[in-house]
Amino acid sequence: MTNVISEIKKDYLYNLLLKGQRTDGRALDQYRDCSVEKNLISKAEGSALVKLGASQVLVGVKMQPGEPFPDTPNKGVIITNAELVPLASPTFEPGPPNETGIELARLVDRGVRESKAIDLEALCITPGKQVWIIFIDVHILDDCGNILDASSIGAIAALLATKVPASKFDLGEDYPLPIKDIPIATTAIEFGDAIMFDPNSDEEAIANTKLIVITTNDGSICGMQKSGTGVLKEEQIYRIVDIACEKAKEIREKFLEE
Amino acid sequence: MIAMDESNISFFKEGLRLDGRRADEPRPLKIEVGVLARADGSCYVEMGGNKVMAAVYGPREVHPRHLQEVTRAIVRYRYNMASFSVEERKRPGPDRRSNELSKVSREALEPVILTSYFPRSVIDVFVEVLQADAGTRTAGINAASVALADAGIPMRSMISSCAAGKVADTIVLDPMKEEDNFGQADMPIAMTPAGEITLLQMDGHLTIDEFHQAVELAMKGCRDIYEIQRKSLIEKYNHLEAEPVLAQEAEVL
Amino acid sequence: MDRMDRKVVIPGDLLSEEAKRSGEGTFVKDGKVYSLLYGLANYRDRINVIPLAGKYVPAPGDNIIGVVKDITFSNWIIDINSPYDGLLHISEFPTRINADEMSKYLNLGSSIMTRVKDVDSTMKVELTLNDRKLGLLKTGRIVEISHTRVPRLIGKGGSMISMLKKELNCNIFVGQNGRIWINGGAEDMDLALKTILLIEKEAHTNGLTDRIVDFLKKEKGARN
Repeated sequence: MTNVISEIKKDYLYNLLLKGQRTDGRALDQYRDCSVEKNLISKAEGSALVKLGASQVLVGVKMQPGEPFPDTPNKGVIITNAELVPLASPTFEPGPPNETGIELARLVDRGVRESKAIDLEALCITPGKQVWIIFIDVHILDDCGNILDASSIGAIAALLATKVPASKFDLGEDYPLPIKDIPIATTAIEFGDAIMFDPNSDEEAIANTKLIVITTNDGSICGMQKSGTGVLKEEQIYRIVDIACEKAKEIREKFLEE
Repeated sequence: MIAMDESNISFFKEGLRLDGRRADEPRPLKIEVGVLARADGSCYVEMGGNKVMAAVYGPREVHPRHLQEVTRAIVRYRYNMASFSVEERKRPGPDRRSNELSKVSREALEPVILTSYFPRSVIDVFVEVLQADAGTRTAGINAASVALADAGIPMRSMISSCAAGKVADTIVLDPMKEEDNFGQADMPIAMTPAGEITLLQMDGHLTIDEFHQAVELAMKGCRDIYEIQRKSLIEKYNHLEAEPVLAQEAEVL
Repeated sequence: MDRMDRKVVIPGDLLSEEAKRSGEGTFVKDGKVYSLLYGLANYRDRINVIPLAGKYVPAPGDNIIGVVKDITFSNWIIDINSPYDGLLHISEFPTRINADEMSKYLNLGSSIMTRVKDVDSTMKVELTLNDRKLGLLKTGRIVEISHTRVPRLIGKGGSMISMLKKELNCNIFVGQNGRIWINGGAEDMDLALKTILLIEKEAHTNGLTDRIVDFLKKEKGARN
């Protein structure tokens, strides 16, 4: 159910771009206003509502004891899912996640897993028998562009606010989930040879391709994804990575470090 | 977690319920209109510990095409619970319960919608339960009704929804979680302000007499909810009208 | 802000005990008039309720702006910002062209100024380009507002829109479906867009025309 964008709109966006401008007056590498509200869902062990521009994403973390995977008997389990519910956009259809939803969930997961933000071995209760299972559930509420970055911020914000519900399962007292890193995904789009960060809906619709870079506290890269049918030149990729690190650092400092 | 069973709980202490309410007192209700940018109409409701978001898209083109009706709009209602909305994480996706809830909720709203105004189209109502605390379907219908108005859908009237229950042989209004799980009856209803009932469900045990009491109490609850729905819609409009932005802008220049 | 002749109403609100006063956005039951919509009730001889939101439903004679979304055997399918698509038949194109040339003249994404020729009971919407004032839009910008605000943007007898065209030095075509085309210098178009969005936001307030005139004076003054 994709809508056709008018040529006039594409031309307008392109002409603005030639002058280094965007429809909402932002600089090409500038993020929209962002806010993070934590622990608004008391049923969840941790939760965060992220507003990025007009986009809204709610992430909930739930934990329960369960069986480890047979090949990693001493490690906890992380399961990340994203629901692109039809409430959030006229283009989202009811049903199980499609390739876009699955990609989003796997990218959020990649950030958390590859950054080793959660010490999986510390989540072991009884080796080979019982470990903590962490469910990270992303629930999109309003898609006004770049729900991936909003989801990534929401996931780590929710994890930072998570309390392990040990008392509920007679496993001792509740304690804060130890988080060792703050992975942040940043999305850049390529359009008319220009690079833009944090695309809004219009910009997403005309973009040729996206490059998502996930970075950690020390500025290393822990995940990447080129998404879309365009092509990227080598120097564009390096430029995106440089700006990505900078942007992730800004976001980390503003919203996530207490 | 200590398992609770009926014999262990005393639902009333000095005439007050577990959360301090009187038998005929509803939980606090908060309504916010027009909270989503993409949706044509939207409403966020907090009813007790329930946190529910409703969005309306439409009238819009029907996909798949074969579902469309030549003389009127079809109405679709999808009730869905977020995985983190309940105590034990819920697997995403519809189940038999959400299926049934979606059906009766749609049937609660459809009678007042003027579908004949929009042949060959669909009015989609989506309700997401972000946090559940007994009474999610009534919270959902209350939110959906406001979202439909917010979307400009023509309706003969609003719909308000509330449940009555029975605990310790007493009829109570707007049961909370423990009352719903361990009480003796649960009866959600929905109605127009004039008292036309569009949703009625019941499970548990009620004598005919108790049933009459429950209906009367629930109907009063619905009327009170209607006033809050009305107030929230009127206030949103007045907020838009209150201070012309123009005057402020001129000052900046 | 309380006026006796205008009031915010919601669906089901009682408006009058006189059935004959029933106007747009209302219905009659047991001889009384009630509101069908969430909006502003205007108390004149008839009581009309103007909605705050809602979808555009095409009516014959409406001038609108559409975007080509599909091309079939002999029709362009046009997105007209409505639950209903518009059909532009090849015969309604101002010049005679062959079916296999259709995309050459109007391709996907082309914007057109068009008129609603006919709407039947199943909401089949037929459009036409057979008029000198209609056609393909190649330059300029298109802004979308709620179609419910279009009457205010045009103004009584066209008063608001004529004033805007003059003060903004722009060509402006207002589509009944809420799409507005503007063409002029870049700065003029920016100001036109800003003004139109402001009018949309305050369409229901009083003294708007005068405030817009003042606003434009100040904006243009600041520019020079």
